[in-house]
Amino acid sequence: MAKKTYDLLFKLLLIGDSGVGKTCILFRFSDDAFTSTFISTIGIDFKIKTVELRGKKIKLQIWDTAGQERFHTITTSYYRGAMGIMLVYDITNEKSFENIVKWLRNIDEHANEDVEKMILGNKCDMDEKRIVSKDRGESIAREHGIRFMETSAKANVNIEKAFCELAEAILDKTSGREPAENTERVAFDRRGAGQEKQASYKNCCST
Amino acid sequence: MSIYKQRLKEFEEALSEEELDFEKFRKLCFNGIPDTNGYRALCWKLLLGYLSPKRSSWSETLGQKRKLYSQFVNEMVVPPGQDKAECVDHPLSEGPDSAWSTFFKDNEFLLQIDKDVRRLYPDISFFQQPTEFPCDLVVNSKGERRLHQRVVPSVFSSANVERKGLGMTKINLITKRSVENYEAMDEGQEAHWEVVQRILFIYAKLNPGQGYVQGMNEIIGPIYYIMASDPSAEQRENAEADTFFCFTALMSEIRDFFIKTLDDSEGGIKFMMAKLTNMVKEKAPEIHQKLKEQELYPQYYSFRWLTLLLSQEFSLPDVVRIWDTVFADDNRFDFLIDVCCSMIVSLEDQILNNDFASNVKLLQNYPPTDINLILSKAVELRL
Repeated sequence: MAKKTYDLLFKLLLIGDSGVGKTCILFRFSDDAFTSTFISTIGIDFKIKTVELRGKKIKLQIWDTAGQERFHTITTSYYRGAMGIMLVYDITNEKSFENIVKWLRNIDEHANEDVEKMILGNKCDMDEKRIVSKDRGESIAREHGIRFMETSAKANVNIEKAFCELAEAILDKTSGREPAENTERVAFDRRGAGQEKQASYKNCCST
Repeated sequence: MSIYKQRLKEFEEALSEEELDFEKFRKLCFNGIPDTNGYRALCWKLLLGYLSPKRSSWSETLGQKRKLYSQFVNEMVVPPGQDKAECVDHPLSEGPDSAWSTFFKDNEFLLQIDKDVRRLYPDISFFQQPTEFPCDLVVNSKGERRLHQRVVPSVFSSANVERKGLGMTKINLITKRSVENYEAMDEGQEAHWEVVQRILFIYAKLNPGQGYVQGMNEIIGPIYYIMASDPSAEQRENAEADTFFCFTALMSEIRDFFIKTLDDSEGGIKFMMAKLTNMVKEKAPEIHQKLKEQELYPQYYSFRWLTLLLSQEFSLPDVVRIWDTVFADDNRFDFLIDVCCSMIVSLEDQILNNDFASNVKLLQNYPPTDINLILSKAVELRL
């Protein structure tokens, strides 16, 4: 087996109504690109990106799910293994915001109890079509004690920051009970780095 | 005579017989239908059972069905409060028989259809192009029968309301058009995606137990594409109706894939995935073992492969080629399993050497490949 090119592996999950932009968010984060013409996600998709946080290389394994009700039996089976969940709604779509409560309930039912959650109000570049105010997003997040951010995959607002904050929150939890296999640091082995995009986001996560 | 010409001749002969020898015809299609002469559109109509093998019945069937479909459009694609609405009916009525209540319910699934048809085959421009044969009833209705117009509420909510003096209200509707390519057409015209939207809407109205499920758009896409690219103008003109009936016939066989409550039943999607897993285990035990060790479950890739009949895994020409064979097979969806198994087996070297992440990526983004090799390997595997 090849040497590990990362210190920690975090499994993240993106959920939310259909069409809120989950795939676009993930694409922006993993490939730093945007396209408005994504085919709808059927079942589940997968991307990987390695980031560096507090001197640790963290491999993010991110699962992108289909939003429609029909796929819930398939997608909820992934909740269990997830360490972080991004819950996305669309600020121009009231229904997608109302359903946040439903998605939270889903998390309660299917995910680990200590899973880190974050709510994202996506498409914040489309202010002229906004229906859900930032206040409402903030208050529902506060109510449930969850982080919140407004994002735009299109204008590249807060995408990297969101993933990094979520990863950092997971890191906070895991430090102190790091599995033994990870103590063998391979930080000097940079050969694998070319394959998966390296993120240096000292700017966004330094606060 | 070249092999290709020979094949064309075989199709010509087979299709000109008064009563098709269906077994022979199926075998012919199994090896791929030629891209010319509108053969594929006609053969799919036959293979899916929309047309019967009796040649003389074709024009009557087509005439009847097309007429029936135009009735569906007439009755179902209507603005509310105009046709059947009685005086007691109004938008705030919550009575179950209220045409308005139905209207709002319909709009819920229509919204989902709208999102999905606007992202149908983004790699090709076909679905964004105007059709030469728009539905007159719809495109000349001043927008009232245009389905997508029913589900663009954001236009209204973004209105700026200004009060002026004595309660005069001025409402500025922001009419800025979106910049996306799947734009609605002007009066008198419509794009292919709008036609597909209408078919899916009518299908969902007629099958309320099933409704619209994401992925149906991916099933209907290739069918409509084939019907609407027929060299015969008469066929193209009726592409919408013909697609509807071919799609309905196909859905009657694969509808269980789309119904959540049937996931575990025979014919349901989990059953299909288990079948595929068992086949891989039997034909390529090493791969099976490797994937099992990596905890790379079949849902990660084969859920989509099977539900969408591989339509998202390959380019459109390859998809229609696969469908020729799948539709022509006696046990249609058993062969689909064989094809999926062949896809996995063809990647054996890579799968055995890859780590988990690379394998998921590989299987979720199937590499470009000669589809005929996959198909012939699938035939070998089933033996």
